[in-house]
Amino acid sequence: MEVTLLIEATDDSFRILEDARERAEGLLGTAVKLTSETRQMEEQKIQSLLKGAQEVKSGFQNFVAAFLILMVFWAMLSGKFDSFHLTLGVICSIIIAYLTYNLLFANVRVGDTRVIVQRFLRYIPWLLYQIVLANFHVAYLALSPKMPVDPQIMRFDTKLESDISWVTLANSITLTPGTITMDIRNGEFFVHALSKKVADDLNTGEMEDRIAHIYMEADHIYVQDALDVARIYVALRKHV
Amino acid sequence: MIRSSDDIIIGTVARVMIPFIQLFALYVIMHGHHSPGGGFQGGVILGASLVLLLITHGIDETKRLVSEKGIAIFGSAGLLIYSGIGLICLILLGNYLDYSRLYILLHVVPAKARSLGILGIETGVGFTVMAVMYSIFLDISTGGELPEDEEE
Repeated sequence: MEVTLLIEATDDSFRILEDARERAEGLLGTAVKLTSETRQMEEQKIQSLLKGAQEVKSGFQNFVAAFLILMVFWAMLSGKFDSFHLTLGVICSIIIAYLTYNLLFANVRVGDTRVIVQRFLRYIPWLLYQIVLANFHVAYLALSPKMPVDPQIMRFDTKLESDISWVTLANSITLTPGTITMDIRNGEFFVHALSKKVADDLNTGEMEDRIAHIYMEADHIYVQDALDVARIYVALRKHV
Repeated sequence: MIRSSDDIIIGTVARVMIPFIQLFALYVIMHGHHSPGGGFQGGVILGASLVLLLITHGIDETKRLVSEKGIAIFGSAGLLIYSGIGLICLILLGNYLDYSRLYILLHVVPAKARSLGILGIETGVGFTVMAVMYSIFLDISTGGELPEDEEE
């Protein structure tokens, strides 16, 4: 009799213990959920704050950059540096920059503009050299009695990503004698080539590589991503 | 109805060129009194930049820059500036558009007042020519039917 009582008592105590454990687990779970929710909310808040600030900042930076570019253009046009004409220039540049900075800096990827300008200036001599070479080739084609032309339309997918780099490539191709860009459709170039040699030259992709280098695209995207992540990390550490 | 052009080269080059075209137009207007150019020429260049934007980027993008109401206001404001300056000269006991009388208001020598007066006149002319150029093109290209008319 006493043994059965004892067993029942132990069973009861076990049951109570299990209940308590379940209750504690439930409490712990809700607590964890709450903290994670609040943390998520805080993170979202910080993120939206950061994003908004960044947008405003980059918009203002673009406005100032557009104003400076337009002011230099005005000074080049006007050539008068008395206070009256400079004031007119400042007013006009502010108006035009405010109206059109969105147009001038649409689709600009994150990147250092100074580096892009430097690389672009270094690209121009190379392009001129290529144009001279192609000139000699086209002159040879035109002057040789057999006229060994082999006109063809080639199409290739480009690895470039932004519209400005597409346009740079398309205009470089058109500027080089013997090749003409006919159309760009969704990153696919349609190019008319005068002979097999110019088509092969284009197919080596050196021009495309150089333009990707200017605008830090294709191979350079990973480096830029790492830099972006580092900047966001630093900003988050400052806030938290 | 004008949609945005699907040619990437034309769209991108136009997008980069438009701010410079507009600034050049303002330069032509502002330097009209001592170099070739003036209100009409500058206004036409300004209107042409808007037409270029309309052709390449479509009507929605152009409306974000300047609405039809804004264009109407610009056209009327240009006329108001022109006739207003002329009328002020008349009130100051001169002939209509006799800018040298403006020296009483501006406190400068009459020659300078003449220069500033013609600058104001050319600004007004530029505004009006730009607005009229653009609205004529808009009316022709849309056949007089604007998107908000279709919605209603």
